[in-house]
Formats: sequence, C-alpha cells, structure tokens
Amino acid sequence: MDNQRNLLLAVVLCGLLLFGWDAGMNYFYPQPKEPVPAEAAAGAPGDSPAAPAKPTREGGLTDPAAIALEERDLETALKSPERVRIDAPELAGSIDLVGARIDDLTLRDHRQTVERDSGPVRLFSPAGTPAQHFAQFGWLGEGVAVPDAKTVWTAEGGPLAPGKPVKLSWNNRSGQVFTIDLSIDDDYMISAKQTVGNISGRPIVVRPFATVSRTSATASTSTYTIHSGPIGYFGDGVDFGTDYDDVAEAGKISPDGAARWIGFTDIYWLSALIPQGTTEVDADFRSLGGGVFRADAIYDPLTVPNGRAISRTTQLFAGAKDADLLGDYEDTGIAGFQNAIDWGWFGVIEKPIHWLLNQLYNLVHNFGVAIILLTVIVRVFMFPIAQKQFASMAAMRAIQPKMKAIQERYKDDKPRQQQEIMALYKSEGVNPLAGCLPILLQIPIFFGLYKVLMLSIDMRHKPFALWIHDLSAPDPAHILNLFGLLPFTPPSFLAIGPLAVLLGISMWATFRLNPPAADPVQAQMFKIMPWILMFVMAPFAAGLLIYWITNNLLTLAQQSYLYSKHPQLRAQAIKDKEDREREAKREAKAKS
Amino acid sequence: MKRVLILVARAWQVGPSRVLPPTCRYAPSCSEYAIEALGKHGAIKGGWMAFKRIMRCHPWGGHGYDPVP
Repeated sequence: MDNQRNLLLAVVLCGLLLFGWDAGMNYFYPQPKEPVPAEAAAGAPGDSPAAPAKPTREGGLTDPAAIALEERDLETALKSPERVRIDAPELAGSIDLVGARIDDLTLRDHRQTVERDSGPVRLFSPAGTPAQHFAQFGWLGEGVAVPDAKTVWTAEGGPLAPGKPVKLSWNNRSGQVFTIDLSIDDDYMISAKQTVGNISGRPIVVRPFATVSRTSATASTSTYTIHSGPIGYFGDGVDFGTDYDDVAEAGKISPDGAARWIGFTDIYWLSALIPQGTTEVDADFRSLGGGVFRADAIYDPLTVPNGRAISRTTQLFAGAKDADLLGDYEDTGIAGFQNAIDWGWFGVIEKPIHWLLNQLYNLVHNFGVAIILLTVIVRVFMFPIAQKQFASMAAMRAIQPKMKAIQERYKDDKPRQQQEIMALYKSEGVNPLAGCLPILLQIPIFFGLYKVLMLSIDMRHKPFALWIHDLSAPDPAHILNLFGLLPFTPPSFLAIGPLAVLLGISMWATFRLNPPAADPVQAQMFKIMPWILMFVMAPFAAGLLIYWITNNLLTLAQQSYLYSKHPQLRAQAIKDKEDREREAKREAKAKS
Repeated sequence: MKRVLILVARAWQVGPSRVLPPTCRYAPSCSEYAIEALGKHGAIKGGWMAFKRIMRCHPWGGHGYDPVP
C-alpha cells in the first residue's frame, strides 16, 4: 500500500512538472498571442516592425507580415542603381553608395531552412527593413565636413571579389578627400581601409569609426548555455554576459578593457568589427530604440597635417561561425576569435568532440552515423571499467558465504552490517561497485556533445536517415498526431517523437540490468525514470537522442557479452532475481 | 567559495545521486567526504582532498572505510 502511494505521488508530481512548466512559463513570461499582421503590413517601407515576435532557435523573422514586408522592402532597396555588387565565394550582396554601407549580404553556403532549394541565409539587410542589419564606415570631426548617411560616394572597380577591391571616394569640396578601400577574402572577412587626405592648408582632427547596426527582431534565442546578442573581446576574454535587454535598459554600454573585436552574434552567425592591430578604440553598444542596436568602434582622434593622408583599417566579419575558420582567423591575430562560439566551461571537452565528430563525418559523410561512431569510441574507452566490474563480481561469488554470515550476524544493525561488509571487501580485495568517477566522466562528455550539436554550424541542417533531416533540431515526427496524419501540432510537452520513445524503451531496458534499489521509494523512481526522461529529452536535438539511444544499446550489448564470458554470474543474477520476486510476493501476501 | 562547493556536493546528493544506481566504493561516500572535508579544512585544502578522493573512486582505486583525516 505504501509503495502504491509513493508511486501515485511520483506520477502526480511528474504530471505537475510537465503541465506546470508550460503554464508557469506562460505565466511568468507571457508571449503576445499573435502578432498583429495588418498593422505591420500597412506600415510604409522603412517603418520598424510591430511588437518583436518570439525568437526562434535559429533566428530570423518569424512574423509573416514582417517577412512579407521585408521581401517588398528588399526589392525596392536593392533596385537602386547606386549599389556595387559583392560577389565572393561565400558572400553575395551589395554595397550601398549612399552612406557607404554594407547592408546586403547573403551566405552562399547556408540555406534558410532544411530544404535544399530554400533561399540563402540573409545576414545583412538595409536600414529600415524589418530585418535590418548592416555595417557602416565613417568619420567624426569638428570643423570638418565629414561624410554622413546621405553622402553619395563614387565607386571604382567592382563587383567586390577576392583580389578585386573596390574603392569608394568622396570629396567634401573643402580640402579633404575621404576614401574607403574595400577588399574581401575567400570566406567571410571584408577589410575597410579608411583614409582621409587633407589639402586644406591647415591640420584637421578626425576620428574614424566603424559600426554594425542590427535589429534584435531577427536574433536567435539566447539561453543559459548559449548566448545570442552583443558580443566582443574586451580586456582578456570574450564577453557573453551582455544581452539586448541590458543595452536597451542602459542606453549605452561600454565594456571594460581594450576591445579587440565587437559585434553581435546569433547561435550560428556573427557580425563583428575588428579594429586595426592593437589600436585603442572606444567600443560600445548602443540602443537606438525600436529594438535596433549598434556596436561602435571609434578610433582615437587623428591629426592630419596639411598635405598628408592617414588611414585606419577595420575588418568586418560577417558570416557563419565555423569553428575551424574562426580558428584560422584567430591564428592571423584576432584575439579569441574562435571563442565567438559560446563553448562555455566545457570547451576543453567540446573542442575535441567537435574535432572528432568532424573527422568521423569526413569518413562516413553522415553526421548521424558519425555520432553513433563517436558513441562507440567513448564506450570502447569505458569498456575496461565494466570488464573490471564483472571480474570483481565474479570474485564476489567466492566470498559469498562470508557475506551471508555477516548479513546474518548483524541483521538488526544495518550501519554495522554495512561497515563489516566494507571491511570484508577490503580484506578480500574486491568491490563490485565502480565508484563515481566513471559517471562523473560521462557527464561532461554528454553535456559537451549537447553543446557541440547545438552550436556547431557543421551540424546545422545535416540529415541522418529516414525522417530525420536535421540532427541539430528536435525529432520532427510526433506520435500524438500519427506522424502528421492528424491536422494538429501537439502541445510542446507532449510532442514526443519516435526517437524519444526509443530512448525511453532502451533506458528502461538498461535500468533493468541494475540490481533494484533496496529503498522502495528509490526502486519506484527507477521504474518511472525512463518514462520521465522520455518526455524531458524529447525536445532536445535529435543527434543527442541518437547518442543516448546508441549508448543504451551498447550498454545492453556489453552486458550480454560480459555475461557470456562469466556464465556463472548470469546464473547468479537469474537466481537473485527469482529470490527477490519470491520475497516481494511473500511480503505482499503478508500485508494483505 | 566553501559554501558554493558544499552546495555543489549537496546538489549532487539530492539530484543525480538519488536517481543513479548505487556506486559508492567508499564509506563515507564521496559527497559526504567532500562536505566534511570542506567544513574541516576550508575551500582550498578541503576541495583538493575531495578532488583526490573522487579521483580514486574508480574500479582500480581503493575502497572501504576512508574518513576525512
């Protein structure tokens, strides 16, 4: 009776957690029901979008009205004749000669959705569009006519491609000529050399600057483990602690320490300014209102004597956070650039996992298979532990009579009995338990794999087999609506797919291998655990579930292999189980 | 610092340790040992002792009664 009450209690508690979580989140973080599409659609191009929609894992616009508006805005904005095309291996887009803005960039190698024919990911979008995100280069100066956002620049060269720079120039007709030499590499790096030449007959003082502006409407979700938002390298490390909300609240945030790069990041994308060498810059994040934010890198004032020209070169990274590529850039001298990926505390483990996964992927060309192989490798390393455990279990049999004697003698004094057993283990030099280190070792591996799957651009939109087209996303199939046959999407807490069910079953099977806990509450807990975890894990990346399922299957395989090597242990296990069942029956009978 | 580390050990006891199969080779368990060591010897020495204890808590390590010195 007692057991049943506990079981009931546990079930009720689990239910509360499952349903309560959703309800609680809705209560504490209410989301607007539906964005108001009519209003946003009616707004003239250039209006900022209506209430920010809920961010998604990958980022990008979600409100259909904003998407439609973005499309129309882009069409008008990009039609302008005052644009120079960008045509590089990884980047495509254009430069707006009005204001010298790089405000139109798409990533050639990354698709918007998992569909192969979906459009390329758009990273930069002109000012005023719903997805605005752009970079601008300019100068501040007093008593000098500096170019502004309306200045129309003259371009030489183009389209911008590797080895084919573009020169923008503007003469202010009062003795100064401003030029911006743009070049691009094979990946995601654009260099802007800003020069001001002075022939006015007197010295002038100017401050070159570079900015990246963007809306937070397209930001990906920022979570405890993965930061999306303002980012930069200040002082001696990358700052992941500043959120859009913080900037909006403060108006302006100037992080402490010398800035080596500054910008904005999503889970997969980064736009960042890298000031020249170790030149000091004033770096800050500003809120411009309406959910638009700006990262500034402003150089110290330069005095340009008459007849001289002085330059500052800023690099602009705009692209995907590919770990290897960022590492290469870091090697060229951009401090901590690879850490633009939010590896977190377990970076030491994540980087090798990431490397190994990529090697395996190159071998088999399927990330799902690569994950399975990785699991096998991890288990091979752990195998000696299990083997050793079985060996000591076999040795245990030899001391079984002594154990029985102790158990009899200290029947009524459990702590003493425990102590005596420990002493016996010690004197006989055996111990059937593995200790906590093997478990503690596996936790960082598991967490590391989770982060690698979530963070790594290599795994974005990578298929496994059958219905799993994106290992970095949750299982798309839902059992409750019969895999899409019924026309509804189950609420998130019930959205379990076949992978989660496989996980539950395989975990249940591995739990059965363990000797049942002596404590009845704990024993009940073990019984329900797999099914709770089935729900808890369902919304996680499919790749993670594949890892766990494989891991469970390998545990089962390992167990049956080791039993086959120690047949007497198998006999023992069966006997133990029968004993326990008999015991349980007897107790149940005695109670009724 | 000491408090934080003790909290970590407590969190382990009431969280993962409850639901994982029993694995302790030692008495007291690693988490009990850690809490006691931290209380007795402070964050640095106690923490180091707890770390060393966890490092020998594996199938080739020792076992049995192993109290905090």
